[in-house]
Amino acid sequence: MKMKKTVVAAALTAAMVLIGGSALAQGTIKVAVASAITGPVAQYGDMHRAGVHLAVEQANAEGGALGKKIEIVEMDDACEPKQSPAVANRVVSDKIKFVLGHVCSGSFKPAAQIYNENDIVMVSSSATSDDLSTYGYKTFFRTIGKDSQQGPAAAEYIVSKAKPKKLAIVHDKQTYGQGVATQVRNTVEKKGLKPVMFEAINKGDTDYSALITKMKRAGVDFVYYGGYHPELIILLKQAHDQNLGARWMGPEGAAVSDVKGDSAEGLLVTLPPDFSKEPANAKIVEAFKAKRQDPSGVFVMTSYAAAQVLIDAIKGAQSEDPKKVADYMHKNRFKTVLGDVEFTPEGDWATARFDIFVWHKDASKTLAP
Amino acid sequence: METFFPQFLQQLINGLSLGAIYALIAIGYTMVYGIIGMINFAHGEIYMIGAYVGLVTLTAIGTAAGYPPWLLVVAALAIAIMVTSTYGWAVERCAYRSLRGSPRLVPLISAIGMSIFFQNYVVILHSSRDLSVPELITGRLFSMDMGGFEVSMSNSRALILIVTVVLMVAVTLFIRHARMGRACRACSQDIRMAGLLGIDVNKVISFTFILGALLAAIGGVLIGLSISKINPFIGFLAGIKAFTAAVLGGIGSVPGAMLGGALLGLVETFASAFLPTEYKDMVSFGLLIVILLIRPSGLLGRPEVEKV
Repeated sequence: MKMKKTVVAAALTAAMVLIGGSALAQGTIKVAVASAITGPVAQYGDMHRAGVHLAVEQANAEGGALGKKIEIVEMDDACEPKQSPAVANRVVSDKIKFVLGHVCSGSFKPAAQIYNENDIVMVSSSATSDDLSTYGYKTFFRTIGKDSQQGPAAAEYIVSKAKPKKLAIVHDKQTYGQGVATQVRNTVEKKGLKPVMFEAINKGDTDYSALITKMKRAGVDFVYYGGYHPELIILLKQAHDQNLGARWMGPEGAAVSDVKGDSAEGLLVTLPPDFSKEPANAKIVEAFKAKRQDPSGVFVMTSYAAAQVLIDAIKGAQSEDPKKVADYMHKNRFKTVLGDVEFTPEGDWATARFDIFVWHKDASKTLAP
Repeated sequence: METFFPQFLQQLINGLSLGAIYALIAIGYTMVYGIIGMINFAHGEIYMIGAYVGLVTLTAIGTAAGYPPWLLVVAALAIAIMVTSTYGWAVERCAYRSLRGSPRLVPLISAIGMSIFFQNYVVILHSSRDLSVPELITGRLFSMDMGGFEVSMSNSRALILIVTVVLMVAVTLFIRHARMGRACRACSQDIRMAGLLGIDVNKVISFTFILGALLAAIGGVLIGLSISKINPFIGFLAGIKAFTAAVLGGIGSVPGAMLGGALLGLVETFASAFLPTEYKDMVSFGLLIVILLIRPSGLLGRPEVEKV
């Protein structure tokens, strides 16, 4: 009974508010932002949320979509595959039809299956694992490239520009890290460069010096690391301590501001092009700076674009029906901060690419020569 | 293989400095077990809290204030020891003393509860993100060219080794000669008899928890300085490894904990040196099983004779 009273009270309050503001007359369109707010890689979540929030704020300032405001519902999976199904189930039970995220491939995988079963549109702006688009999910999209693009791009650079004598490839046994490391290995082998070492490390360990000594003994002069930044920071530091003298390279998960200091100087990373440098995005870059956020963060622009695409698709489809929205996304081309975006039938961004950057000790980056 | 020896030497350095931290934490497990016959499962968290107190101290003083690095390290260690010892004492007061005499499972669960409480407490206080610890100790102590292979040791690792060795000697001498050390040994032989003979058993037990926390705090600060990042979950893995080291060496025996720590560090290091790195935990825990099969009370543990 008490419950009912609360509902009535809430409805009355809402009705009273609505008399005042007609913009809210039809309620809101809820969008779940499935991010990593906690956990060791929460920095990815910061970038993701920065991009999504600004895009939604700007869209709402222009009247939202279908005459309704977009409402963000924050969710946190900490990039843990164990936590993401709980997030997905909450999205389903809250009857939310659209998800921006998840951030990490490993945690996205189990959640994506749940979204697929419930016809929920999901747009990730940072999950690069190839697996995600191989299941034939009709409502899956991403505004970032795949590891099968990023791995070969890295491998291409290694073989033709870096030309190492002895290459070592290390990964962290996770969906993302092992995936991209395997891609790199396969491509360099095809090009005739056989890595002298292909090893896995344990996520969360604090001592990799035995591995560094082993690399040193093998005379390794180039290391590709597939994984996230917490382990990479320790690897870089311990390699520096032992004076390994090898060049390091990592995927886009390595590019966060915690990777800094002497040991990080010269690290190579494959990243989406730096869209914050595009003249067309000057206004949006200003808006980020006004909020004291760094628009050049790897996932900031891709996340902004993911929100843009979703909102435009809701407007274009003239519907909140996720199936119609997904259908519209498959058939149309979107103007975003990433340029014109089109999706393949699998939901991948058709013209995604990766550039090679050099990371510096102050955590800034420049395009690799 | 002419580069075998220098590489072996380098791995020895790697392994010993890794094992040193295990040994520091393991002493806490082994002393508590030696006296009250129970495992303090909150001990890994004490180590983690030590690392956080060290970081908070460094941040409070400010690394840019111009004090020499060694002074900052000493200050971080001193404050971490003081604050963390209080936590160690509190664990005993809350999770053990009030349950003394109850079935063994009860304090076990209350210690696990303390461990979860501490983890979440630090998460709320400092967020669950990785925090970076300023790099105070940089550079290498030595690096020498041996037949084309450069063997080196960083200052942070050297510090871990030196501090650990000094503490080990100090703890051994203390237990052997000091009044409180004698009391600890008496309690570990027969706690009821020690009480009847006028030893303040409660004080001895509190002291054991404080000593364990102190050593774990030093380990926490040193590891924070060495890998320059910490998070609230580092205590779990370190605790498990140190517990393993304590069991390996013979739980209840202080020299055993030292030996077990060093051995575990070396085995892990050499396993990842000569096998693919992912096998290292399999090898070290396989070894643990084998040793326990042959010597059920660990390498130096003698259950019927004295413990501690």
